[in-house]
Amino acid sequence: MTVPIDQHIEQKQDVTFRIFRFNPQVDSKPYFDDYTIPVERGITVLRSLNYIKEHIDASISFRAFCQAGICGSCGMRINGLSQLACTTQVWEVLAKSREPGLIRVEPLRNLPLIKDLIVDMDPLVDKMKHYSNWIDSTMPESSMGKKEFLISEEEFLRYDKATDCILCASCVSECSILRANKEYVSPAVLLKSYRMNVDTRDALHGQRLAELVKDHGVWDCTHCYRCQETCVKSIPIMDAIHGIREDAIELRGLKDTSGSKHAEAFMSDIEKKGKLVEATLPIRTNGVFWTIQNLLPMAVKMIMKHRTPPPPPLVKPAKGIKVFRELFREMTEHVKQDHKSHKK
Amino acid sequence: MRFERMKPFDIVIVGGGGAGLYAAMEAMKTNPSLNIAVLSKVYPNRSHTSAAQGGANAALGNKAKDDTVEMHIFDTIKGSDYLADQDAVDVLCSEAPKIIRELENMGTPWSRMDDNTIAQRPFGGAGRPRCCYCADKTGHTILQTLYEQCLKKGVIFFNEYFALNLSVKGSRSRGLVAINMKTGRLEAFPARTVIFATGGYAKMYWNRSSNAAGNTGDGQAIAYRAGIPMKDMEFVQFHPTGLRKSGLLVTEGARGEGGYLINKNGERFMARYAKEKMELGPRDLVSRSLETEILEGRGFDSPAGKYLHLDLTHLGADLIKSRLPQIREMCMQFEGVDPIEEPIPVRPTAHYSMGGIDTDNFTRTVMSGVYAAGECACVSVHGANRLGGNSLLDILVFGRIAGHTAAEEAGRFEPGNISEAELQLNSDEIRGSMHSSGHYERYGELREELGQTLALNVGIFREASLLKKGMQDIAELRERFKRVRVFDTSDVFNTNLLQVLELRNMLDLAETVAAGAFAREESRGSHTRVDFPVRDDAKWHKHTMATMVKGNVSLGEKPVTMGRYELQERTY
Repeated sequence: MTVPIDQHIEQKQDVTFRIFRFNPQVDSKPYFDDYTIPVERGITVLRSLNYIKEHIDASISFRAFCQAGICGSCGMRINGLSQLACTTQVWEVLAKSREPGLIRVEPLRNLPLIKDLIVDMDPLVDKMKHYSNWIDSTMPESSMGKKEFLISEEEFLRYDKATDCILCASCVSECSILRANKEYVSPAVLLKSYRMNVDTRDALHGQRLAELVKDHGVWDCTHCYRCQETCVKSIPIMDAIHGIREDAIELRGLKDTSGSKHAEAFMSDIEKKGKLVEATLPIRTNGVFWTIQNLLPMAVKMIMKHRTPPPPPLVKPAKGIKVFRELFREMTEHVKQDHKSHKK
Repeated sequence: MRFERMKPFDIVIVGGGGAGLYAAMEAMKTNPSLNIAVLSKVYPNRSHTSAAQGGANAALGNKAKDDTVEMHIFDTIKGSDYLADQDAVDVLCSEAPKIIRELENMGTPWSRMDDNTIAQRPFGGAGRPRCCYCADKTGHTILQTLYEQCLKKGVIFFNEYFALNLSVKGSRSRGLVAINMKTGRLEAFPARTVIFATGGYAKMYWNRSSNAAGNTGDGQAIAYRAGIPMKDMEFVQFHPTGLRKSGLLVTEGARGEGGYLINKNGERFMARYAKEKMELGPRDLVSRSLETEILEGRGFDSPAGKYLHLDLTHLGADLIKSRLPQIREMCMQFEGVDPIEEPIPVRPTAHYSMGGIDTDNFTRTVMSGVYAAGECACVSVHGANRLGGNSLLDILVFGRIAGHTAAEEAGRFEPGNISEAELQLNSDEIRGSMHSSGHYERYGELREELGQTLALNVGIFREASLLKKGMQDIAELRERFKRVRVFDTSDVFNTNLLQVLELRNMLDLAETVAAGAFAREESRGSHTRVDFPVRDDAKWHKHTMATMVKGNVSLGEKPVTMGRYELQERTY
C-alpha cells in the first residue's frame, strides 16, 4: 500500500499581511503596517502572525493560546470577516481576497480596543454575569455529588450544539445591533442564556427570561443572521434567539417590550388587512407619549412633504384577503402544532 | 515602573483552568468570608482544560454494572507502572463518582446512556468502560461549567496577569508578584496561602507537543526557583496519536470508539505489542509501538516526517459525526483529511507531564502556605504513566481538595507583606532584558532549539549518550538565555515579554527533566531507556526529587507509598 506524498508542500506564495496597529501609549490613532512573507499552502493565519512576530517585528500584539481552535483566544478580523486565526488557512483567504496577495488583519469590532489585535473581553464577561449565564441548580449544594439527574438524549440534544460556544466573540464582532448599541445583550450571551433556559436542571429560567425581555435584550435583534453566518463552531445562534423569543411570548405574553409589541402589531395588521397600517405602527409599538416625543418632528416634516402614510380607515384590505386569511390561519395553526411537538 | 499593591488575600490561586476554578469554588464554599483571588494569564475559559477531549474516569457503573472503585484504583496503579503513591490513588478514584455527579448537578452537559444516566466509554488501560464524556468536548464543557459557577459565586478574577515569583521569607511564602498584562505594571499579591494550578510543562517540546502555547510550566518554575522540590520530572507522556503536521491531538476516544492503528503494510500492528488490548493499550506502550514501527521502517513517508495511520473509516459517517465531530473538523482544518473518507496521519506527540510540584494528598507542598493541584502538581497519582481519562479527574479531585485545605488552613498563616524593594528587584530583572546592551539572543530560536533537543535526546526512546547531549544543549541554552532580548519595549500587553518569561520557565524545568531521565537507569512507564530496558525495582522503585540549588538542579529521592498492591510485571 502506498500513500501519496503531499506534492503541494513546496508551493509558496508571497503574501502581504496588512496589520492593524495601535499602541495606546504612543499612538493617537490606529494605522496599518505591511509585512510580506512567503507562505506555503496549509499554513494558517496564526502561524503567519507568529512567524512575523518572531522574525520581523516582535512588537505586534495578538492573543493566541491553544492554536487548535478550541480556546477561542485568537478571534480577529481577517479580510473583514471575524474568525479564528488558528483555523483560517492563508491560501483559502487569498482565493477570496479582493486585492491579490493581500490579507488585512484587524481586531474584533464592538469590544474596546486595547492594543493592535487585542480587544477587551471584560464587557462580554460582564454581560454573561448580568444575564446569569450559569445553571442555578434545582438541587441544593448540600445534596450534590450523590446522584445524577436523569436526562434524556433528547434534552441533551436541545443544548448540545449551544455548549460548543468557545466565547471567541466573532459573533459579537459581526453583530449589527451592537454596532449601534453597545449595551445590547450580544449574540453569544443570548446563546448561552438559551442553553441555560432549556436545561431542566436550572431553576433560574423565569428570572433570566425577565431580564432578557428588557431593553437591550432579546427583542432588539433584527434577524440579520450575521452572528450565525460568522460562528466559527457553526452554531445556529438564531435558533437560540428565536427559541428565547418563543419562550418569552409563551410564558410572558406580548407585553414586555416595544419589540414584542411591534411583532404583535405587525401580525394583527397582516391578519386583518394583508398589509401594514404604518401610520399607527409607532403608537402601537412604543405608545402615544413616546411617539409624540420622538416622532412628532418627523411627522411634521412628512406632512410638509406630502409623504404621510394613509390613516387606518383608508388602508383597504389587500386584494384576495379572504384567501390570504385562510392561509394565515392555516399557517399559525401549523406553527402552534410545531411548537407543541417541539416542546415534547 | 509603577507598582500596584493589593490588600492581603487569604488565598491567591494561580491558574484558571479546571484545578484553579474548582479550588476557588470549593474554597468559597468552605469559608465564604475569605478573600480569594484567581490570577490567570488568560481568561479562565481559554485554559488548556478546554482541549481535553476524551473524558474523565469514574466507576459509576453506568455502562459496565460490575465496575468498582477498587478496579479503577488497580488500573491506575498498574498503569502508573507502580510508581504512583497508592494512598493518593485511593483518594483519586474514591472521590471520582462524587465529583462527576457534582459537576453533573451543577450543569455539565454529559452525554447520556439509553437509561438517561451519564454516558461512559472504554479508554486505554482501563478494565471497564468508565470514561464519562460529553461528545469529544468534555474538557471544554467542564471548564465552561466551572467558569460559569465561579461567575455565579462572584469569584474575583485577575485575568491576563502573569505570575513572576513567590515572595519568600525564611521557609514561608508571603505572596506573589505578577505582571498585569493590560498595563504592564508589576503588582504585589500579599497572601496567607498560594495555590498553584498552572497546568503542565510539555510545551517545552514545542513543535512536537500537543499542548497550548502557554503550557510552559509557570507554576512549577516559580515553585522550583523558590526552593520547592519537583517530583518525577523525567516522566513526560507522549500521546500516540498527534496529527502529523501540527502535533495536535486526536483523542484516545477515537480508538475507544473502535479506530485501528495501521502501518504501511496495512497491518494492525498493535497485535505485536498488546495482543489483548490492541489499540486500547496504555499510552506509553502504544506510543512506543508507533515509534518502533516508524524506526523499523514500517511508517509512511512525507515531507512533514514519518507517520502511521489511525483508521476510522470502518466506523461509518454517522458514528464519526455524532461522537467525534470536533476531531473530524480538526482533521479537515489542520491536516486536510476527512476521517470518514480516509485514514488520519498520526505520530506520537508530547502531551502530558506526570511530574510536577511535590505535594502530599492534601495538596500541601513543603513550603507552608503553598499548595499545588492538577497537572502542575505531582501527588503522585499517575506515577510513570497516566491513564487516559485520569487527568481531568486529577484536576477536579485535587483542585477541590486544594481549595478546601487552603480555606481551612489560611487562618494559621500571617497575612503576607511584600516590600517595595522586592518589587523593584523583580522589575529590574525584567527591564534588564529590554534595555541593556549585550542582549541580542532571539527567544524564537532558543525555544525552537529547546524543543528540538528535547524531542531528539529526551524523547520516547532515551539513552545515556543522547541524554548527556540533551543536558549539554539545555545548559548552553540557559547560558544563551542570559543574553535574550525583549525586542518590544512597550508596557501595554507586551506579549513578547511574556514569551521570554515563559521560555525562562521552560528552560529551568527542562534541566530537571533531562537530569531526572539521565539519572533513572531503568525503563518504567513513559520513561524508556534503551540502555536499561527493564524496570529495576530494587534500585529505582522511588520518586526522583529535583531541587534548585544555586541556580542548578540537584537530585534527591523519596520512597513510593505502597498499599494493597504488590509490585507486578506490567503486561497488557
